[in-house]
Formats: sequence, C-alpha cells, structure tokens
Amino acid sequence: MLSLYRIIKFSFQDIVRNGWLTVATITILLLALFSINTLVTVRLISDSAVAAIKEKIDISLYLKPETPESEIMALKAKLTNSDKIKSVTYVSKASALESFRVRYQNNQEILAALKELGRNPLSPNLTIIPKDFNEADLLINELKMIDNPIIESRDFTDNSIILAKINNVTARVNEVGLFIISIFILISLLVVYNTIRVAIYTHRQEIEIMRLVGASHTFIYMPYLFSAFIYSLLSVLIIISVFYPFLTILQPYLEVFFMGYNVNILAYFVDNFLFIFGLQFLVVLVINALASLFAVRKYARI
Amino acid sequence: MIKISGVSKAYGNKIKVLDNVDLTIKPGEFVSIVGQSGAGKTTLVRLLIGEEWADEGRVMVGDWDITKISKREVPFLRRQIGVIFQDFKLLPKKTLEENVSFALEVSGGAPEKIKKIVPSVLKIVGLEDKKRRYPHEVSGGEKQRAAIARALVHQPKILLADEPTGNLDAINAQEIIDLLLRINKFGTTVILVTHNKEVVNRLNKRVITMDQGLVISDQERGKYIL
Repeated sequence: MLSLYRIIKFSFQDIVRNGWLTVATITILLLALFSINTLVTVRLISDSAVAAIKEKIDISLYLKPETPESEIMALKAKLTNSDKIKSVTYVSKASALESFRVRYQNNQEILAALKELGRNPLSPNLTIIPKDFNEADLLINELKMIDNPIIESRDFTDNSIILAKINNVTARVNEVGLFIISIFILISLLVVYNTIRVAIYTHRQEIEIMRLVGASHTFIYMPYLFSAFIYSLLSVLIIISVFYPFLTILQPYLEVFFMGYNVNILAYFVDNFLFIFGLQFLVVLVINALASLFAVRKYARI
Repeated sequence: MIKISGVSKAYGNKIKVLDNVDLTIKPGEFVSIVGQSGAGKTTLVRLLIGEEWADEGRVMVGDWDITKISKREVPFLRRQIGVIFQDFKLLPKKTLEENVSFALEVSGGAPEKIKKIVPSVLKIVGLEDKKRRYPHEVSGGEKQRAAIARALVHQPKILLADEPTGNLDAINAQEIIDLLLRINKFGTTVILVTHNKEVVNRLNKRVITMDQGLVISDQERGKYIL
C-alpha cells in the first residue's frame, strides 16, 4: 500500500514538475486521437452517403391494369414474407398517374400527350426495397422465378447495373478507406510510441539515480507506467470533450447535406461511446505502456 | 570487509581494464585508490556496486560473493554500499531533502524511519538550513554534501566516493574530504577514488595506486606516487 502510494506520488510529482513535457506529450496524443476520430467520422459519412443512395434504389413489379386488388394484395403478402425483402409498397394505377404528373409537371409535351391519350396508361406496381442491397441480385433472381399471371413486366436490368456500380464503388471506397485509416493509425501509433520514448529519455538521469540508490525494479518501472496511464486517460477525456462539440457543430450541416436521409453521426458516437473511446483508451494505453517499458528498460539496463 | 581476488575485466575481449587485481580492505579503513585516467579505478567501483561483472576472479563484500549476484539482488547490494560521484547525480526537480528521502522511499523505507533519518543525515553534512532548496540553488560543495547525505541514509558500512572533489574548488574539496573523514570516524569504510594529488598526500592514509589495470603499489600511509 505504501509502495503504491509512493508510485502514484512520484508519478504525479513528475507530471506536474515537468509540466511542459506533460503538455507536449498529451498534445501529440490528442493530435493522433483527433486525426483518427476525424477519419472514423469521414468513413461514417461516406458509408451513410452510400446507404442513402442505395435506399433510393427500388425494384418494381409491374402488374396488369385490370388485376383485382385482392390478387395484388395476395402477391404483396407473399413477397413481404421473403427474408430478402425489407418492404413492399403497392402503387395503384391512380397513384402511379399522380406521381407521373408530379414528376413531369414542368414538361408540357408529356403532359399534353397524356391528356391526348384520354386514359390512364400506367400499370399498378409493387415497389420492393431489398433488406440487403448487397444481395439485390439474388432477390432479382427470386423475383424472376415468380410465376404469377398478374405480373405484366419485370425489367430489372437498370437497377442491376446501378447496384453493381454502387457495390463496386463502395467496395473500392472501403478498401481505400481502410488502407488510409490503417496507415494513419500506424503513423499515429509510431508517433505516440516515439513521444513516450523521448519523454522517458529526458528522465534517463532520474532512472540512473534510482538504480544507484537501490530502487527495486518495480519502483523504477511503475511510476512511468502510471504516468502512461494518466497520459492516456487525460488525452482520451480531452478528445471526448473536444470531439463531441465538434460533432454537435457538424451534425446540422450533415442534416442539410443529406436532407431526407437518416444520417446522424452524433447519435452513432453516443450509441457506440464505450466501444469507440474505450478501444482508443486501451490502444493508447498499451502503446504508452510498451514504449515506457522499453525505454525504461533501455536506460535502467534491467 | 572487501576482498577482491584475481579479478580481471576486459571490454570487447581486447583491452584489459583490470588485470588479476587482488585487494583486501578491512572494515573501518579509509583507502584512497589513485591512478591516471584509464587505470581501472572506476571499473573497480562499478564492480563493487554491481554495475559491471568481473570476467574472472571474485569480489566479496562481507560474506556476500557479488560476482555471482543476480540482477534482482543488485538493489539490495546498493543499499549496503553508499556511493557518490563527481557529478553529484542529484535529481534537479527535487529539493535537497527530497533527494535524500528519495533513496529511502524507493527502497521501501517506512515513513517513521524517513522522518527520523533524513534530518539526521542532513545535519551530519550541514545542510539542515538548505534542505528546501533545489540543486541549482546551492553551490557545488553543497550538492556533494547532499549526495553524501543521500548515500548515508541506508546507513551503509561502505561509502564509495568516485572523484568526489573533481568538480569542486580547493576549499569545497577539503570540506568534502573532512566530511568523509568524519564519516569514517563513525566506523564507515571509505573508499576514495581520486587523482587529486594534494588531497591524497594530506590525508596520510592507505593509498592503492593503479596503472593499466594493475595494482602497482599499496602503502599503509602512502603518498600519490604517479
């Protein structure tokens, strides 16, 4: 107990009396953590953007115009039961015409042609949103297999191409993003490791004196390990207090940019608080502790 | 008692810094080890405090064969042998009192023991009035006194002084030597490693002279002969 008290006392004395070194070390840790969190945020925004685009892609089954509603509802119920389908929306002939008019309200030629026709030429349809857009191809194959006489047409070609392109781009973005994040994390960890080594280098005389006056190995190591714990804790606490206001400022801009989509980075950070910052604390602590151990070992020649 | 028998030490299998050294130092003696740079004096000190290990031979401190000492035992050896250096080796961010108590704190000394011993050793070295000062606020002589006080807190039977006057003017040097003599009178064995001719000649104590790793002279009341 007495030893623990002294280890903590020496550690705090060192942190306070070497104020500038403490500030410099924590600043480097903060810069590394801020960079990593910013990269995580950028990754989340890009993921949200891709998800938002995917949500706009639906698959439609066009039905024969005279089909009774009961048969359409029966097909809708059957489709809803599929584990590959998130939702099925029935768009009646009248609704389809209304949407058509709204979409082409500025195109007088199309509207005039429709008026000339004198009837509703559009078919009712079932708009299907897949559960997993990566499995949209499987769903399309499944829909192609449905043998129901009320189905008038099922041309999924455009959607398949768009989905393939999006999946391709997403995969590339993920690969590049992961590579950049990995490189950045590696650089940050090396910077942090070196910062701690430099911090302990400035204590080499103290370590030498501790050895000469008969300090046990535990007493030589532990204050530096405790300091590493304090540096890690302080830097993560500060990054939390800096990053949350930053996200709060950023969130309204994201909402405007992704209007109509559910993109909430702040909520993501709040929901995954323990995972995100707990993991960061653990990684920084392990790196700090390892750097401290190696550096002290070098100067203490233990 | 310190008994060094047939000790040799070489760096990189080339130059022998100690060559078959035999020495015996009795308890309570004041011994000066002299010699020019590279004679092997400091290596001998480093062997005695477990900083280096002999290639051959045996070093006994009391009944303890420190040639076979494990790394875990080194801190215990260093609590038995006080050591001071030319560059004082004080912690700049600690006061003189903290520097002295630090030696006891890091070796697990009880608070009551620290409260009792630290003021008494500071009094012995004459620093009780300057105990709250930092090393940069005191003179070289006072820094060395603080280092001596720190070396004494474990109440060692042996005090090793490696060039303790090297960074001091003549007056401060003499004060430090007088302090070492006083400590020797309390029964502590003092081993003074120096190449300060005046100090050695004035002492009129045992002088061991080393040259190129060999003991070339051992006189009971000797002079600096190089």
